[in-house]
Amino acid sequence: MQSVQFEAPGTVDEAVALLAGATGDTRILAGGTDLLVQLRAHMINPGLIIDIKKIDETRSLTKNADGSYTIGAAYAGAEATERDDITKDWPGVVEGWDLIGSTQIQGRASLGGNLCNASPAADSVPAMIVAGMTANIAGPKGRRTIPVQDVPVSPGKTSLGKGEFIVSFNLPGRPKGGGDAYLRLIPRTEMDIAVVGCGVALVLDDSGTVTSAKVSLGAVSAKVLVVDAAAKAIIGTKLDDDALAKLDAACQAAAKPINDKRGTIEYRTKIAGVLARRAVKIAAERAGS
Amino acid sequence: MKIEFQVNGKAVNVDIAPTARLTALLRDVLDLKGTKVGCDAGDCGACSVIVDGAICCGCLVAVGQLDGAKVTTIEGLGNTAAGARLADAFLRHGAAQCGICTPAMMVSAAVLLDQSARPSRRDVEGALGGVLCRCTGYRKIVDAVLDASADDENSAPALTPQRRAAVGHRLARLDGLAKVNGTEVFGADYVPDGAALVRVVRSPHAHARFTIGDLRAFKGDHSGIEVILTAADIPGHNLHGVIAPFADQPVLAETVARFVGEAIAIIAGAPNCVTGLDLSAFPVTWEPLEPLQSPAAACDDQAPRLHAGRPGNILVEGHVERGDITRGFAEAAHIVEGKFTTPYVEHAYIEPEAGYARRIGERIEVHACTQAPHMDREALALILGVETEAVRVVPSACGGGFGSKIDLTLEPFIALAAWHLDRPAYIVFTRGESMRASTKRHPSEICARVGCDASGRVTAMDFDGVFNTGAYASWGPTVANRVPIHACGPYFIPHYRAHSQAVHTNGPTAGAFRGFGVPQAAIAQESLFHDLAETLGMDQLEFRLTNALDNQQPTVTGQVFAEGVGIKACLEALRPAWRRESAAAREHGHVADGSTTRRGIGIGTCWYGCGNTSLSNPSTIRIGLTATGQIVLHQGATDIGQGSTTVISQIVADALGIGIEALDLVGSDTDLTPDAGKTSASRQTVVSGTAALRAGEALRGMILRQGNAGSDAEITLANGTLSLCEDGIARVIELANLETNPHGYVLEAEETYDPPTTPLDDRGQGQPYSVYGYGAQIAVVSVDMLLGTVKLERLIAAHDVGRAINPLLVEGQIQGGIAQGIGLALMEEYIPGKTENLHDYLIPTFGDVPEIESIIVEVPDPRGPRGAKGLGEHVLIPTAPAILNAIRDATGARIRQVPATPARVRAAIEEAWEND
Repeated sequence: MQSVQFEAPGTVDEAVALLAGATGDTRILAGGTDLLVQLRAHMINPGLIIDIKKIDETRSLTKNADGSYTIGAAYAGAEATERDDITKDWPGVVEGWDLIGSTQIQGRASLGGNLCNASPAADSVPAMIVAGMTANIAGPKGRRTIPVQDVPVSPGKTSLGKGEFIVSFNLPGRPKGGGDAYLRLIPRTEMDIAVVGCGVALVLDDSGTVTSAKVSLGAVSAKVLVVDAAAKAIIGTKLDDDALAKLDAACQAAAKPINDKRGTIEYRTKIAGVLARRAVKIAAERAGS
Repeated sequence: MKIEFQVNGKAVNVDIAPTARLTALLRDVLDLKGTKVGCDAGDCGACSVIVDGAICCGCLVAVGQLDGAKVTTIEGLGNTAAGARLADAFLRHGAAQCGICTPAMMVSAAVLLDQSARPSRRDVEGALGGVLCRCTGYRKIVDAVLDASADDENSAPALTPQRRAAVGHRLARLDGLAKVNGTEVFGADYVPDGAALVRVVRSPHAHARFTIGDLRAFKGDHSGIEVILTAADIPGHNLHGVIAPFADQPVLAETVARFVGEAIAIIAGAPNCVTGLDLSAFPVTWEPLEPLQSPAAACDDQAPRLHAGRPGNILVEGHVERGDITRGFAEAAHIVEGKFTTPYVEHAYIEPEAGYARRIGERIEVHACTQAPHMDREALALILGVETEAVRVVPSACGGGFGSKIDLTLEPFIALAAWHLDRPAYIVFTRGESMRASTKRHPSEICARVGCDASGRVTAMDFDGVFNTGAYASWGPTVANRVPIHACGPYFIPHYRAHSQAVHTNGPTAGAFRGFGVPQAAIAQESLFHDLAETLGMDQLEFRLTNALDNQQPTVTGQVFAEGVGIKACLEALRPAWRRESAAAREHGHVADGSTTRRGIGIGTCWYGCGNTSLSNPSTIRIGLTATGQIVLHQGATDIGQGSTTVISQIVADALGIGIEALDLVGSDTDLTPDAGKTSASRQTVVSGTAALRAGEALRGMILRQGNAGSDAEITLANGTLSLCEDGIARVIELANLETNPHGYVLEAEETYDPPTTPLDDRGQGQPYSVYGYGAQIAVVSVDMLLGTVKLERLIAAHDVGRAINPLLVEGQIQGGIAQGIGLALMEEYIPGKTENLHDYLIPTFGDVPEIESIIVEVPDPRGPRGAKGLGEHVLIPTAPAILNAIRDATGARIRQVPATPARVRAAIEEAWEND
């Protein structure tokens, strides 16, 4: 194994310069909870590791004047549970973040890492997608911003180009009448990989009619799915039984899971519908409050 | 890279690779071994440390990120007030069993107590949730943390028992202090200076012929390799097996590998070189053979034979028959039957196998985590081709065993390397290696049928169990022999036939795992009993009481006990809880109430014979008195966390009539302690305990005779003198005048006890065990009918231990056994190649173990010490069937394949609806 160059730049520009100058495999280190496992298993053998935790921008969660939030890529999601503002505005997003690993993992684990590990079962991702979050990416050609859903491409692969890394995320302000939720199913009570996950964000008008909605499913495809048909099934309704049945059916139709020890294809498909119904109800309750 | 940070308040400056893990820095560079490594992947949490006030897995922290950080480990915790309170509470509550997870639990708790003065139970579960424990069932850990957070005056100090009252006392474990302060030395915690590191080359194939290539070239290409050993280099027999007549396992495979992970060579040399070796480059050519995937495939006439002399790949068959089942079923008014399937189950102790060996002249010393030092010694002598006396085995602290560490694991590898190199050699298995190489619980396929008459009396039971014993014999014969005796459960069944087969496949070797096949059999029997009672419309508890075995009734092997049969007492002890929970379950919705969850309750029971089946299994205990008035207890029973060191000492203290604090303990060491047998089959309290009782009584008799004192005289040891007090008159015994024996004692008692058993005849009739223990448990579950998830609300466990030598430890066994039973019922399934880590192989965490109400029942058995019976395995047996019966009660679904994963439960619910 070659010896690794380890750098901990203090600014985004320094990090970009280091990345641009690198020749071999380069890895971004934030919490290290995935990276160290991959190193240990000899899955990767980088020549350069860049610790981004010394860059202030990556570490903070800020509520902006317009009600939106900016969240650093190295921010440990579980920390947000102690914030009154974001837990009130986006409880579903925070629920997803809080499900990443145990307390012992959460002390290190970062949001950017959870997204860039590109697992279809990542707990943070479905709720971030339906909340309309975007990722701010820095790289050799400057900065760009893309929707969170466009970051993972397939298990373990992202759309980030050479020399690019995620600096931070944008989370819109909570719309009036908005509510969100994230539910997942695991066989054990904690510390397990989702068998199915479902994120929902919706907006209700004063009459209780859904005016907009987004539904996403985790762990039932090679990447987190955004199920437009499921959203359509409930937009314009008051979430009556018929609408929920259509939502359920749309989620089941969209799910393309695999068979493994955590669940069969048949089971995962059905659960996608069950969780979507339940997540929609929770999101609607939150929207009304 | 140079890094400056603080560990436990002290500045540390090191030059180290920035990607090194914090655990490696702490353990290998700073020699702080209190932080443990269980998986190196963030799954087990055993490496938890505090970094800048936050708890995290040390194995996932790159040291390059630590510049300027403050790190606190268990070693630093001891200096804080919170650390001292936690240590005290952990001891008093019995929150540490084997102790391997204890440092991580304590540092996690310390962070919580720092943030929250009075945390809730839920807070504790969350804060400690990333740390796995395989022994305790977690409840006592939560109790200890809550206690440590309480006001000081509420924390009761540990009480020392009164003289002659050690037995029955809730004594904190005598070996507990090292477990709570991080100084306990487990297999990986001591490496002699200059030791060579050993690594094992293993088969990636389940079945393959192989040819080893040019070892000299491989060695030449890798400076630092000092020796490569293959089968040809083994000086003695390249063969071992825990049951001598069935020994069939090579230390290093010769030409054919029979399971994934089988060892074919070992490499030893300088640690910095050997640790990074890419073993996939080892020169070996594999010729994969068709693996036998299942017992059905293995029994096929065309299937290859894995071992000579075992036609049909059948290792052993067990058989018990009593009465006439044809007649019994003819007398039945109701008959139920079913086929039940259980998978491979992994022991998943948190300590991967580790240890070191060193050669001293023509002797070899092995220090490793084992459950069976004397058996290891005999096996190693054969492998090395030396006399038994030339081998010394000293068990390190054992970070969980549960049966797997009875078999040889790492011991031959380090012994061979040290023997060849004539310098110390050590090994630490990785988690994946531990899981691939170690034995498992036998997968089973069981077909059973039970009939009863109209009044609910069971008339007949027929049982056929096929157990996949994997590549090698290990404890397969024991499972095959034990199951037919126990498959009836603790019931009187007049007409009975039970047959078992242990069949070889190319799966992992199945061996001993808490219960030796009985937990699998109990799933079938108790499920069918539930269904039979349901068919009759009879209350589940009453049905079991109607059929429970009693004194003077023959067991299925024809053994009749005049006293000590405790199953009825266990069931009666559950009656109040059964009534309460039945009412609550009805209230919480057997009826549709709009909710998607349904509450249900179920019962499981057990009986379990303590010690080997119809075989001699003696224990010997020695106690000596020195000329300076010290009483030294030599007990070789390996304490793997269950508490035998404490229990045996309690028995001895009372037998001698001295305070327990007066005993000097000499732990397990084949040079220093006589053979107390292996820690298995729930035998240590009964067998070693009886030997200890007799040795204690014998030494007391000798001491009293020295002073010509009567049997009621009180023995006092103080300031190096021994005095006898009788009728208010004290007399000093001059020990210095007595002759010292070769062990260094002026008086010594050594007693051996071998429980009386008889062989079974061809119908399986005889007296296989001298003592059985009994138990019954109730599970209360809520099932989400749409998700198929099962939430355990509560477990109530009544166990007849004859006499609770230490009620605190009894509760610890009950709770820990239940946690493993929960795993068996709901989540555990070992699949080679797929679950060789602790995130795909799921064991219960804090949140999975509900409140457990332990009811200790004491129906004394005259054949146990002070009436005591064994307990260690019993506790696991009723849990899974109780949970499956509760799921049936809640949903109408009958689960016949464990684990009852949400997918299986939902499928069974749908099936039940269709049949409705």
